[in-house]
Amino acid sequence: MTINPRRDLANQCNALKSTGPKSVSGKRASSQNSRKHGLNSPPDFESSPEYRALVDLLAEEGFSAFADIAAGLLNYRRVMDAYYDTYTSPEPVDEFLRDANVKASNPIFSELLSPSGSEPQDVREMATFFADMQRQERRKGGPVSRRTADIHKLMRYQRNGIARLSRAVRHG
Amino acid sequence: MLYNVRFGVYVDVAMPVEDKSKSLLPFLSSPKLLPNESGSEFQSGLQSLLSELDNPSPLAVALVSQLNECLWWIKRHTVDKELLLYEAMARLLSKAGNHWDTYDNRKVSEALERYLDGSADKDESEWIDEILAESKLTLSDLRVRAFKDAARHIKMVDDLIHRQHQTIRHLQRSIDSIDYKSRLIKRMDLELAALESKQSVKGALTLDDKSA
Repeated sequence: MTINPRRDLANQCNALKSTGPKSVSGKRASSQNSRKHGLNSPPDFESSPEYRALVDLLAEEGFSAFADIAAGLLNYRRVMDAYYDTYTSPEPVDEFLRDANVKASNPIFSELLSPSGSEPQDVREMATFFADMQRQERRKGGPVSRRTADIHKLMRYQRNGIARLSRAVRHG
Repeated sequence: MLYNVRFGVYVDVAMPVEDKSKSLLPFLSSPKLLPNESGSEFQSGLQSLLSELDNPSPLAVALVSQLNECLWWIKRHTVDKELLLYEAMARLLSKAGNHWDTYDNRKVSEALERYLDGSADKDESEWIDEILAESKLTLSDLRVRAFKDAARHIKMVDDLIHRQHQTIRHLQRSIDSIDYKSRLIKRMDLELAALESKQSVKGALTLDDKSA
């Protein structure tokens, strides 16, 4: 495929016009962007006193890869701490949204929309949007299902963390 | 020598390590327990693993502590599988009957949990029986349907358990490699000492010969 500078420029200009996710599921997914476990940010172990103490002890023990082992251990603990925190604080259930009766809420929607001179179509759209959000909320299930789904996302961090530690110890 | 290492905010673990100043654990954040978990059970698991170590070097102790935590997570996740079923059962019961007010409610889920392990009181049992009758479901039907309903999350828990098993394998290999290294060093020390003693005996013999 050849590179077309004009098309590239057009793509970049169009990307600047982007106003974020459009679909309900996209909006809900992006609303969770601020929920961070912090595992994507690069750790700064080298400046911590724990790291220096670990390095000294491991060097004393005769490990040649003492710096890698110390960083591997601290990194693994960081992952497991995030694992525990995610497990103990799952996304809360929105009981209002989950239990609300959408059909019975139609008068409320029309009342909410009436100052702007709402049409029946607007009320229907709002009800559809609300029902979609409710379906997604229910699909997430209860607290155990939520924490399971949340913690499942951390599996790859644990896999990488233990592989790094194990490699360092075996080479040490 | 036994001494205590602060274990998270919940438990103190007594840990046999030759030299307190040489332990790695005080520099690592420690596994934490949930409020309803037994600290003594956690400790006894750790102690039994530590007792298996031939040479409890500080790094080996740190790795064994991580291994014990993995075993603990497997226990937690196994319990979660059952809890997921209760959640799904409660959801189905609420959907089948006219219990939208208790939809996916923790109350129904917890009552079911007690009902199934036989610890529910009379009122609670009657309440569950009533909901079951209303939804025209038997307990086994409900369980089968709940299993189907919660299959996606149960599969996730299975993945998590599998991940812990893989982690344990990594840790075991690491501990083995440390153990092998220390045994190798010990063997080399012994061989060196034997060579040195042989050398000194030889030296003494040649001196004796010369003097004779």
